[in-house]
Amino acid sequence: MFGYHELSDFSAEIGKISIRFEKDGNFYRYVREDDGREEKSIFTGSGRVIINPVEPVNLPKEITNFLQIKFDKKFLSEPKFSTEVYLTFPIEIAVFIAAKKSLGLIDVFSLNKPKFTLYGDPRAGIICRYWESGVYSDIPEVDKYREGVMKLRITNSDDEWVEVNSVVLDVYGMKIYYDGELVYSAASMNITSPKVAETRFIERPLRDSMKKALELYVARRIAVTRSKFVMEWGL
Amino acid sequence: MMDVLGYKLYEDVTVYDVLFVVVVMVVATIVAKLITTNLRRALIDKMKRDQLELMLKIIYFGIIVIAFIGVLPTLGLELSGLLVAGGIAGIVIGFASQSVVANLVSGIFLISEKPIKIGDQINIDGVAGFVEDVNILSTIIRTYDGLYVRIPNEKVFTSNITNYVAHIARRFEYVIGIRYSDDAEKAIEIIKNLIEDHPFALKNPEPQVFVDNLGDNSVNIVVRIWAPSTEWYSVKMELLWKIKTELERNGIEIPFPQRVVWFANELKANVEGKEEGWQA
Repeated sequence: MFGYHELSDFSAEIGKISIRFEKDGNFYRYVREDDGREEKSIFTGSGRVIINPVEPVNLPKEITNFLQIKFDKKFLSEPKFSTEVYLTFPIEIAVFIAAKKSLGLIDVFSLNKPKFTLYGDPRAGIICRYWESGVYSDIPEVDKYREGVMKLRITNSDDEWVEVNSVVLDVYGMKIYYDGELVYSAASMNITSPKVAETRFIERPLRDSMKKALELYVARRIAVTRSKFVMEWGL
Repeated sequence: MMDVLGYKLYEDVTVYDVLFVVVVMVVATIVAKLITTNLRRALIDKMKRDQLELMLKIIYFGIIVIAFIGVLPTLGLELSGLLVAGGIAGIVIGFASQSVVANLVSGIFLISEKPIKIGDQINIDGVAGFVEDVNILSTIIRTYDGLYVRIPNEKVFTSNITNYVAHIARRFEYVIGIRYSDDAEKAIEIIKNLIEDHPFALKNPEPQVFVDNLGDNSVNIVVRIWAPSTEWYSVKMELLWKIKTELERNGIEIPFPQRVVWFANELKANVEGKEEGWQA
Protein backbone atom coordinates (compact mmCIF):
# COMPACT_ATOMS: atom_id res chain seq x y z
CA MET A 1 0.00 0.00 0.00
CA PHE A 2 2.98 2.33 0.52
CA GLY A 3 3.93 3.90 -2.78
CA TYR A 4 2.40 5.81 -5.69
CA HIS A 5 -1.27 5.52 -6.64
CA GLU A 6 -3.61 7.20 -9.09
CA LEU A 7 -5.79 9.83 -7.45
CA SER A 8 -9.08 8.81 -9.03
CA ASP A 9 -11.05 6.47 -6.78
CA PHE A 10 -8.09 5.64 -4.53
CA SER A 11 -9.03 3.92 -1.27
CA ALA A 12 -7.13 1.90 1.33
CA GLU A 13 -7.58 0.31 4.74
CA ILE A 14 -4.74 0.53 7.26
CA GLY A 15 -5.62 -1.16 10.50
CA LYS A 16 -8.89 0.39 11.62
CA ILE A 17 -8.24 3.52 9.55
CA SER A 18 -9.73 3.88 6.10
CA ILE A 19 -8.68 6.55 3.60
CA ARG A 20 -10.14 7.40 0.21
CA PHE A 21 -10.53 10.08 -2.42
CA GLU A 22 -13.98 10.96 -3.69
CA LYS A 23 -14.67 12.96 -6.83
CA ASP A 24 -16.96 15.89 -6.04
CA GLY A 25 -17.74 17.96 -9.13
CA ASN A 26 -14.58 19.81 -10.15
CA PHE A 27 -12.45 18.72 -7.23
CA TYR A 28 -11.59 15.76 -5.03
CA ARG A 29 -12.44 15.17 -1.43
CA TYR A 30 -9.97 13.33 0.80
CA VAL A 31 -11.61 11.39 3.61
CA ARG A 32 -9.98 9.59 6.55
CA GLU A 33 -12.20 7.64 8.92
CA ASP A 34 -11.28 5.98 12.19
CA ASP A 35 -12.91 7.12 15.42
CA GLY A 36 -13.86 10.38 13.78
CA ARG A 37 -13.96 11.72 10.24
CA GLU A 38 -11.26 13.91 8.77
CA GLU A 39 -12.07 15.56 5.48
CA LYS A 40 -10.13 17.82 3.17
CA SER A 41 -10.99 19.25 -0.25
CA ILE A 42 -8.34 19.11 -2.94
CA PHE A 43 -8.54 21.39 -5.92
CA THR A 44 -6.82 19.51 -8.69
CA GLY A 45 -7.84 18.04 -11.99
CA SER A 46 -5.54 15.06 -11.70
CA GLY A 47 -2.52 13.90 -9.77
CA ARG A 48 -0.90 11.00 -7.99
CA VAL A 49 -1.24 9.99 -4.39
CA ILE A 50 1.86 9.02 -2.45
CA ILE A 51 1.46 7.04 0.75
CA ASN A 52 4.66 7.10 2.74
CA PRO A 53 6.07 6.29 6.14
CA VAL A 54 7.52 9.54 7.53
CA GLU A 55 9.53 10.80 10.51
CA PRO A 56 7.53 10.03 13.66
CA VAL A 57 7.40 13.51 15.20
CA ASN A 58 4.31 15.07 13.65
CA LEU A 59 1.47 13.86 15.86
CA PRO A 60 -0.55 15.12 17.64
CA LYS A 61 1.36 18.26 16.64
CA GLU A 62 4.92 18.97 15.73
CA ILE A 63 6.77 20.20 18.82
CA THR A 64 10.14 18.57 18.31
CA ASN A 65 12.40 16.99 15.73
CA PHE A 66 14.03 14.48 18.05
CA LEU A 67 13.27 10.83 18.64
CA GLN A 68 14.38 8.93 21.73
CA ILE A 69 14.34 5.16 21.50
CA LYS A 70 14.60 3.67 24.98
CA PHE A 71 15.98 0.13 25.12
CA ASP A 72 13.89 -2.36 27.06
CA LYS A 73 17.09 -3.81 28.52
CA LYS A 74 20.35 -2.02 29.26
CA PHE A 75 23.04 -2.58 26.66
CA LEU A 76 26.62 -2.91 27.87
CA SER A 77 29.22 -2.09 25.25
CA GLU A 78 32.80 -3.34 25.30
CA PRO A 79 35.64 -0.75 25.01
CA LYS A 80 36.87 -0.08 21.47
CA PHE A 81 34.21 -2.30 20.00
CA SER A 82 31.58 -1.91 17.34
CA THR A 83 28.41 -3.89 16.82
CA GLU A 84 25.14 -3.72 14.91
CA VAL A 85 21.75 -4.18 16.56
CA TYR A 86 18.18 -3.86 15.34
CA LEU A 87 15.59 -1.66 17.05
CA THR A 88 12.04 -0.75 16.23
CA PHE A 89 10.77 2.79 15.69
CA PRO A 90 7.25 4.20 15.41
CA ILE A 91 5.72 4.86 12.02
CA GLU A 92 3.65 7.83 11.01
CA ILE A 93 1.99 7.62 7.63
CA ALA A 94 1.78 10.66 5.37
CA VAL A 95 -0.51 11.14 2.41
CA PHE A 96 0.98 13.38 -0.28
CA ILE A 97 -0.41 14.55 -3.56
CA ALA A 98 1.89 15.10 -6.51
CA ALA A 99 0.84 17.28 -9.40
CA LYS A 100 2.70 19.57 -11.78
CA LYS A 101 6.10 18.60 -10.33
CA SER A 102 5.08 19.80 -6.89
CA LEU A 103 4.23 17.94 -3.69
CA GLY A 104 1.46 18.76 -1.26
CA LEU A 105 0.95 17.18 2.15
CA ILE A 106 -2.64 16.14 2.72
CA ASP A 107 -2.61 14.18 5.96
CA VAL A 108 -0.48 12.45 8.57
CA PHE A 109 -1.84 9.69 10.79
CA SER A 110 -0.53 6.81 12.87
CA LEU A 111 -1.64 3.57 14.43
CA ASN A 112 0.57 4.29 17.47
CA LYS A 113 -0.23 6.46 20.44
CA PRO A 114 2.34 9.26 20.56
CA LYS A 115 4.25 9.96 23.76
CA PHE A 116 6.88 12.57 24.51
CA THR A 117 9.72 12.81 26.97
CA LEU A 118 12.47 15.15 28.09
CA TYR A 119 16.08 14.28 27.35
CA GLY A 120 18.40 16.25 29.61
CA ASP A 121 17.31 18.75 32.22
CA PRO A 122 14.33 21.12 32.02
CA ARG A 123 16.61 24.15 31.57
CA ALA A 124 18.58 23.06 28.54
CA GLY A 125 17.31 19.62 27.53
CA ILE A 126 15.23 18.71 24.52
CA ILE A 127 11.73 17.35 24.11
CA CYS A 128 11.76 14.04 22.23
CA ARG A 129 9.20 11.70 20.78
CA TYR A 130 9.43 8.65 23.08
CA TRP A 131 9.52 5.05 21.96
CA GLU A 132 10.45 1.83 23.73
CA SER A 133 12.13 -0.93 21.78
CA GLY A 134 13.75 -4.26 22.30
CA VAL A 135 17.36 -4.71 21.19
CA TYR A 136 17.54 -7.48 18.58
CA SER A 137 20.41 -9.23 16.87
CA ASP A 138 18.23 -10.03 13.82
CA ILE A 139 15.46 -8.16 12.05
CA PRO A 140 12.41 -8.48 14.32
CA GLU A 141 8.93 -9.18 12.98
CA VAL A 142 6.81 -6.07 13.10
CA ASP A 143 3.58 -4.66 11.70
CA LYS A 144 4.95 -2.45 8.89
CA TYR A 145 2.12 0.05 9.27
CA ARG A 146 2.85 0.46 12.96
CA GLU A 147 6.62 0.00 13.40
CA GLY A 148 9.76 0.22 11.34
CA VAL A 149 13.07 -1.54 11.89
CA MET A 150 16.21 0.46 12.53
CA LYS A 151 19.72 -0.91 12.17
CA LEU A 152 21.87 0.87 14.73
CA ARG A 153 25.62 0.61 14.58
CA ILE A 154 26.96 1.20 18.10
CA THR A 155 30.66 2.02 18.28
CA ASN A 156 32.28 2.40 21.66
CA SER A 157 35.36 4.56 21.05
CA ASP A 158 36.02 4.93 24.78
CA ASP A 159 38.44 2.87 26.87
CA GLU A 160 35.77 1.86 29.37
CA TRP A 161 32.73 -0.37 29.34
CA VAL A 162 29.70 1.82 28.65
CA GLU A 163 26.08 1.18 29.57
CA VAL A 164 23.62 2.36 26.93
CA ASN A 165 19.93 2.81 27.78
CA SER A 166 18.66 4.82 24.86
CA VAL A 167 19.52 6.55 21.62
CA VAL A 168 18.42 10.08 20.70
CA LEU A 169 18.29 11.00 17.01
CA ASP A 170 17.57 14.17 15.09
CA VAL A 171 14.90 13.10 12.61
CA TYR A 172 15.64 16.03 10.31
CA GLY A 173 18.30 13.73 8.93
CA MET A 174 16.19 10.56 8.95
CA LYS A 175 16.13 8.43 5.81
CA ILE A 176 13.32 5.89 5.63
CA TYR A 177 13.14 3.06 3.09
CA TYR A 178 10.31 0.66 2.44
CA ASP A 179 9.23 -2.31 0.37
CA GLY A 180 6.33 -4.74 0.55
CA GLU A 181 7.63 -6.30 3.78
CA LEU A 182 9.43 -3.74 5.82
CA VAL A 183 9.94 -0.10 6.72
CA TYR A 184 13.60 0.46 7.42
CA SER A 185 16.06 3.08 8.59
CA ALA A 186 19.71 2.98 9.62
CA ALA A 187 21.66 5.03 12.13
CA SER A 188 24.96 5.08 13.93
CA MET A 189 25.91 5.86 17.52
CA ASN A 190 29.51 6.67 18.28
CA ILE A 191 30.16 6.62 22.02
CA THR A 192 32.97 8.99 22.91
CA SER A 193 32.67 8.82 26.70
CA PRO A 194 30.38 7.04 29.20
CA LYS A 195 28.02 10.07 29.10
CA VAL A 196 28.42 11.33 25.53
CA ALA A 197 27.64 9.90 22.10
CA GLU A 198 27.25 11.21 18.59
CA THR A 199 24.30 9.94 16.58
CA ARG A 200 23.37 10.30 12.94
CA PHE A 201 21.23 8.64 10.33
CA ILE A 202 22.79 6.65 7.51
CA GLU A 203 21.52 6.91 3.96
CA ARG A 204 21.58 3.24 3.03
CA PRO A 205 18.67 0.84 2.38
CA LEU A 206 18.62 -2.72 3.70
CA ARG A 207 17.94 -4.07 0.22
CA ASP A 208 18.65 -2.39 -3.10
CA SER A 209 15.05 -2.92 -4.17
CA MET A 210 13.76 -0.74 -1.34
CA LYS A 211 12.23 2.64 -2.19
CA LYS A 212 13.19 5.78 -0.35
CA ALA A 213 10.32 7.48 1.45
CA LEU A 214 9.65 11.18 0.97
CA GLU A 215 10.80 13.13 3.99
CA LEU A 216 8.30 15.49 5.54
CA TYR A 217 10.93 18.11 6.35
CA VAL A 218 11.90 18.13 2.68
CA ALA A 219 8.26 18.52 1.63
CA ARG A 220 7.95 21.38 4.12
CA ARG A 221 11.15 22.93 2.72
CA ILE A 222 12.83 23.01 6.12
CA ALA A 223 16.51 23.81 5.69
CA VAL A 224 18.57 21.17 7.50
CA THR A 225 21.98 22.46 8.46
CA ARG A 226 23.23 19.59 10.58
CA SER A 227 22.93 15.85 10.28
CA LYS A 228 24.32 14.64 13.60
CA PHE A 229 23.22 14.99 17.19
CA VAL A 230 25.41 14.91 20.26
CA MET A 231 23.88 13.10 23.22
CA GLU A 232 25.48 15.01 26.08
CA TRP A 233 23.04 14.30 28.91
CA GLY A 234 23.76 10.65 29.31
CA LEU A 235 23.19 7.44 27.42
CA MET B 1 9.51 77.57 -9.72
CA MET B 2 13.25 77.31 -10.30
CA ASP B 3 13.70 80.34 -8.10
CA VAL B 4 11.93 78.64 -5.23
CA LEU B 5 14.01 75.47 -5.61
CA GLY B 6 17.19 77.51 -5.81
CA TYR B 7 16.33 79.58 -2.74
CA LYS B 8 19.14 79.26 -0.18
CA LEU B 9 17.95 78.22 3.24
CA TYR B 10 21.35 78.41 4.89
CA GLU B 11 24.92 78.42 3.61
CA ASP B 12 24.82 76.59 0.23
CA VAL B 13 21.79 74.45 1.07
CA THR B 14 18.82 75.19 -1.12
CA VAL B 15 15.19 74.11 -1.03
CA TYR B 16 16.10 71.68 -3.80
CA ASP B 17 18.71 70.05 -1.52
CA VAL B 18 16.19 69.63 1.28
CA LEU B 19 13.62 68.20 -1.11
CA PHE B 20 16.29 65.83 -2.48
CA VAL B 21 17.07 64.65 1.06
CA VAL B 22 13.37 64.13 1.80
CA VAL B 23 12.90 62.15 -1.41
CA VAL B 24 15.99 60.01 -0.73
CA MET B 25 14.81 59.28 2.80
CA VAL B 26 11.29 58.40 1.61
CA VAL B 27 12.72 56.13 -1.10
CA ALA B 28 15.10 54.54 1.44
CA THR B 29 12.18 53.90 3.82
CA ILE B 30 10.11 52.35 1.02
CA VAL B 31 13.06 50.21 -0.11
CA ALA B 32 13.72 49.12 3.50
CA LYS B 33 10.05 48.27 3.93
CA LEU B 34 9.96 46.31 0.66
CA ILE B 35 13.11 44.36 1.49
CA THR B 36 12.02 43.51 5.04
CA THR B 37 8.50 42.54 3.92
CA ASN B 38 9.85 40.19 1.27
CA LEU B 39 12.47 38.78 3.61
CA ARG B 40 9.81 38.15 6.27
CA ARG B 41 7.67 36.24 3.74
CA ALA B 42 10.65 34.25 2.53
CA LEU B 43 12.10 33.37 5.94
CA ILE B 44 9.07 33.18 8.24
CA ASP B 45 9.02 29.37 8.21
CA LYS B 46 12.79 28.98 8.16
CA MET B 47 13.87 31.04 11.18
CA LYS B 48 12.78 31.52 14.75
CA ARG B 49 10.41 34.47 14.93
CA ASP B 50 12.44 36.50 17.44
CA GLN B 51 15.67 36.07 15.46
CA LEU B 52 13.87 36.97 12.24
CA GLU B 53 12.34 40.12 13.73
CA LEU B 54 15.71 41.21 15.14
CA MET B 55 17.40 40.64 11.78
CA LEU B 56 14.64 42.53 9.93
CA LYS B 57 14.92 45.47 12.34
CA ILE B 58 18.68 45.64 11.83
CA ILE B 59 18.22 45.57 8.04
CA TYR B 60 15.39 48.14 8.11
CA PHE B 61 17.17 50.67 10.29
CA GLY B 62 20.53 49.88 8.66
CA ILE B 63 19.20 50.94 5.23
CA ILE B 64 17.67 54.12 6.66
CA VAL B 65 20.82 55.05 8.60
CA ILE B 66 23.06 54.43 5.56
CA ALA B 67 20.77 56.58 3.41
CA PHE B 68 20.76 59.31 6.05
CA ILE B 69 24.55 59.32 6.37
CA GLY B 70 24.75 59.39 2.56
CA VAL B 71 22.63 62.55 2.22
CA LEU B 72 24.15 64.44 5.14
CA PRO B 73 26.71 66.28 2.93
CA THR B 74 23.80 67.54 0.81
CA LEU B 75 22.52 69.31 3.89
CA GLY B 76 25.96 70.80 4.45
CA LEU B 77 26.66 68.58 7.43
CA GLU B 78 30.04 66.89 7.60
CA LEU B 79 30.43 63.76 9.73
CA SER B 80 33.53 65.14 11.48
CA GLY B 81 31.61 68.24 12.46
CA LEU B 82 28.72 66.10 13.54
CA LEU B 83 30.90 64.16 15.94
CA VAL B 84 31.81 67.34 17.84
CA ALA B 85 28.30 68.73 17.64
CA GLY B 86 26.92 65.31 18.50
CA GLY B 87 29.01 65.17 21.67
CA ILE B 88 27.66 68.46 22.91
CA ALA B 89 24.15 67.70 21.73
CA GLY B 90 24.37 64.31 23.40
CA ILE B 91 25.04 65.89 26.78
CA VAL B 92 22.18 68.34 26.34
CA ILE B 93 19.78 65.67 25.10
CA GLY B 94 20.93 63.28 27.82
CA PHE B 95 20.00 65.73 30.55
CA ALA B 96 16.78 66.69 28.83
CA SER B 97 15.61 63.16 28.26
CA GLN B 98 16.90 61.03 31.08
CA SER B 99 13.98 58.61 31.03
CA VAL B 100 14.28 58.11 27.27
CA VAL B 101 17.99 57.37 27.63
CA ALA B 102 17.31 55.07 30.58
CA ASN B 103 14.77 53.19 28.47
CA LEU B 104 17.19 53.06 25.56
CA VAL B 105 20.03 51.67 27.66
CA SER B 106 17.65 49.20 29.33
CA GLY B 107 16.45 48.17 25.88
CA ILE B 108 20.00 47.49 24.72
CA PHE B 109 20.66 45.39 27.83
CA LEU B 110 17.35 43.53 27.38
CA ILE B 111 18.17 42.74 23.75
CA SER B 112 21.67 41.53 24.64
CA GLU B 113 20.74 39.67 27.87
CA LYS B 114 17.61 38.16 26.28
CA PRO B 115 15.57 37.31 29.38
CA ILE B 116 12.55 37.42 27.07
CA LYS B 117 12.05 36.72 23.39
CA ILE B 118 9.27 37.54 20.97
CA GLY B 119 6.50 34.96 21.40
CA ASP B 120 7.43 34.06 25.01
CA GLN B 121 4.73 33.91 27.66
CA ILE B 122 5.81 36.18 30.48
CA ASN B 123 4.68 38.08 33.54
CA ILE B 124 6.22 41.48 34.23
CA ASP B 125 5.02 43.28 37.31
CA GLY B 126 1.58 41.67 37.13
CA VAL B 127 1.16 42.05 33.36
CA ALA B 128 0.96 38.56 31.89
CA GLY B 129 0.79 37.61 28.23
CA PHE B 130 2.76 37.06 25.05
CA VAL B 131 5.78 39.21 24.11
CA GLU B 132 4.82 40.87 20.84
CA ASP B 133 7.93 42.97 20.38
CA VAL B 134 11.06 44.10 22.20
CA ASN B 135 11.79 47.58 20.89
CA ILE B 136 14.70 49.78 21.75
CA LEU B 137 12.54 51.90 24.10
CA SER B 138 9.68 49.69 25.14
CA THR B 139 8.40 46.12 25.29
CA ILE B 140 5.01 45.26 23.85
CA ILE B 141 2.88 42.64 25.56
CA ARG B 142 -0.34 41.09 24.26
CA THR B 143 -2.20 40.01 27.37
CA TYR B 144 -4.11 36.72 27.40
CA ASP B 145 -7.35 38.64 26.92
CA GLY B 146 -5.93 40.36 23.83
CA LEU B 147 -5.01 43.77 25.26
CA TYR B 148 -2.03 45.76 23.98
CA VAL B 149 0.29 46.79 26.82
CA ARG B 150 3.40 48.89 26.28
CA ILE B 151 5.91 48.71 29.11
CA PRO B 152 8.91 51.08 29.11
CA ASN B 153 12.14 49.09 28.98
CA GLU B 154 13.45 50.70 32.17
CA LYS B 155 10.53 49.18 34.06
CA VAL B 156 11.01 45.81 32.36
CA PHE B 157 14.69 45.84 33.24
CA THR B 158 14.18 46.69 36.92
CA SER B 159 11.14 44.43 37.48
CA ASN B 160 10.96 40.75 38.29
CA ILE B 161 10.37 38.93 35.02
CA THR B 162 8.71 35.53 35.07
CA ASN B 163 9.23 33.76 31.76
CA TYR B 164 6.90 30.76 31.62
CA VAL B 165 8.54 29.23 28.57
CA ALA B 166 12.23 30.03 29.10
CA HIS B 167 12.83 26.41 30.02
CA ILE B 168 11.90 23.60 27.71
CA ALA B 169 9.63 21.83 30.21
CA ARG B 170 7.70 22.77 33.33
CA ARG B 171 5.77 21.03 36.07
CA PHE B 172 2.22 21.61 37.26
CA GLU B 173 0.32 20.11 40.14
CA TYR B 174 -3.19 19.09 41.17
CA VAL B 175 -4.46 18.16 44.61
CA ILE B 176 -7.32 15.69 44.27
CA GLY B 177 -9.36 14.78 47.35
CA ILE B 178 -11.16 11.45 47.53
CA ARG B 179 -13.45 10.03 50.23
CA TYR B 180 -11.95 8.17 53.17
CA SER B 181 -14.00 5.13 52.13
CA ASP B 182 -12.45 5.07 48.62
CA ASP B 183 -9.47 2.95 47.61
CA ALA B 184 -6.58 5.42 47.28
CA GLU B 185 -4.33 2.88 45.54
CA LYS B 186 -6.96 2.31 42.86
CA ALA B 187 -7.37 6.08 42.42
CA ILE B 188 -3.60 6.46 42.01
CA GLU B 189 -3.56 3.68 39.40
CA ILE B 190 -6.39 5.32 37.44
CA ILE B 191 -4.65 8.72 37.51
CA LYS B 192 -1.32 7.19 36.44
CA ASN B 193 -2.99 5.46 33.49
CA LEU B 194 -4.60 8.71 32.36
CA ILE B 195 -1.25 10.50 32.54
CA GLU B 196 0.39 7.70 30.56
CA ASP B 197 -2.27 8.04 27.87
CA HIS B 198 -1.68 11.77 27.36
CA PRO B 199 1.02 12.36 24.73
CA PHE B 200 2.32 15.61 26.21
CA ALA B 201 2.45 14.44 29.85
CA LEU B 202 6.17 13.68 29.73
CA LYS B 203 7.49 10.20 30.38
CA ASN B 204 10.63 11.67 31.89
CA PRO B 205 10.82 13.44 34.37
CA GLU B 206 8.44 10.84 35.71
CA PRO B 207 5.04 12.04 36.93
CA GLN B 208 4.41 11.71 40.66
CA VAL B 209 1.08 10.59 42.11
CA PHE B 210 0.90 9.98 45.87
CA VAL B 211 -1.24 10.44 48.98
CA ASP B 212 0.04 13.71 50.39
CA ASN B 213 -2.08 14.17 53.49
CA LEU B 214 -5.19 13.07 55.32
CA GLY B 215 -7.35 16.17 55.20
CA ASP B 216 -10.40 17.22 57.21
CA ASN B 217 -12.80 16.03 54.56
CA SER B 218 -10.77 13.93 52.16
CA VAL B 219 -7.68 11.88 51.46
CA ASN B 220 -5.60 14.27 49.37
CA ILE B 221 -3.69 12.88 46.40
CA VAL B 222 -1.02 15.09 44.88
CA VAL B 223 -0.46 14.76 41.12
CA ARG B 224 2.70 16.30 39.65
CA ILE B 225 3.17 16.25 35.89
CA TRP B 226 5.89 17.62 33.64
CA ALA B 227 4.89 18.89 30.20
CA PRO B 228 6.58 20.83 27.38
CA SER B 229 6.43 24.54 28.25
CA THR B 230 4.54 25.27 25.07
CA GLU B 231 1.84 22.72 25.89
CA TRP B 232 1.56 22.66 29.68
CA TYR B 233 -1.59 24.77 29.97
CA SER B 234 -3.61 22.67 27.53
CA VAL B 235 -2.38 19.48 29.24
CA LYS B 236 -3.37 20.91 32.62
CA MET B 237 -6.86 21.80 31.40
CA GLU B 238 -7.48 18.49 29.63
CA LEU B 239 -6.19 16.14 32.32
CA LEU B 240 -8.00 17.55 35.34
CA TRP B 241 -11.45 16.95 33.91
CA LYS B 242 -10.45 13.53 32.57
CA ILE B 243 -9.21 12.54 36.05
CA LYS B 244 -12.44 13.75 37.65
CA THR B 245 -14.73 11.89 35.25
CA GLU B 246 -12.61 8.71 35.21
CA LEU B 247 -12.50 8.56 39.02
CA GLU B 248 -16.28 8.99 39.18
CA ARG B 249 -16.76 6.32 36.52
CA ASN B 250 -14.88 3.95 38.83
CA GLY B 251 -16.98 4.83 41.85
CA ILE B 252 -14.40 7.12 43.44
CA GLU B 253 -15.89 10.46 44.38
CA ILE B 254 -14.47 13.82 45.26
CA PRO B 255 -16.24 14.68 48.57
CA PHE B 256 -17.83 17.96 49.57
CA PRO B 257 -16.51 19.57 52.76
CA GLN B 258 -18.23 17.86 55.69
CA ARG B 259 -17.97 17.71 59.44
CA VAL B 260 -19.21 15.02 61.81
CA VAL B 261 -20.74 16.60 64.93
CA TRP B 262 -21.18 14.59 68.12
CA PHE B 263 -23.54 15.92 70.79
CA ALA B 264 -22.72 15.26 74.40
CA ASN B 265 -26.45 14.86 75.28
CA GLU B 266 -28.93 13.00 73.19
CA LEU B 267 -31.09 15.34 71.16
CA LYS B 268 -34.76 14.74 70.67
CA ALA B 269 -35.59 15.56 67.11
CA ASN B 270 -39.08 15.60 65.66
CA VAL B 271 -38.49 14.07 62.28
CA GLU B 272 -42.15 13.40 61.52
CA GLY B 273 -43.33 16.95 62.36
CA LYS B 274 -46.55 15.82 64.14
CA GLU B 275 -46.54 18.38 66.90
CA GLU B 276 -48.35 21.66 66.62
CA GLY B 277 -46.52 24.37 64.84
CA TRP B 278 -44.96 21.90 62.41
CA GLN B 279 -48.15 21.27 60.51
CA ALA B 280 -48.22 22.56 56.99
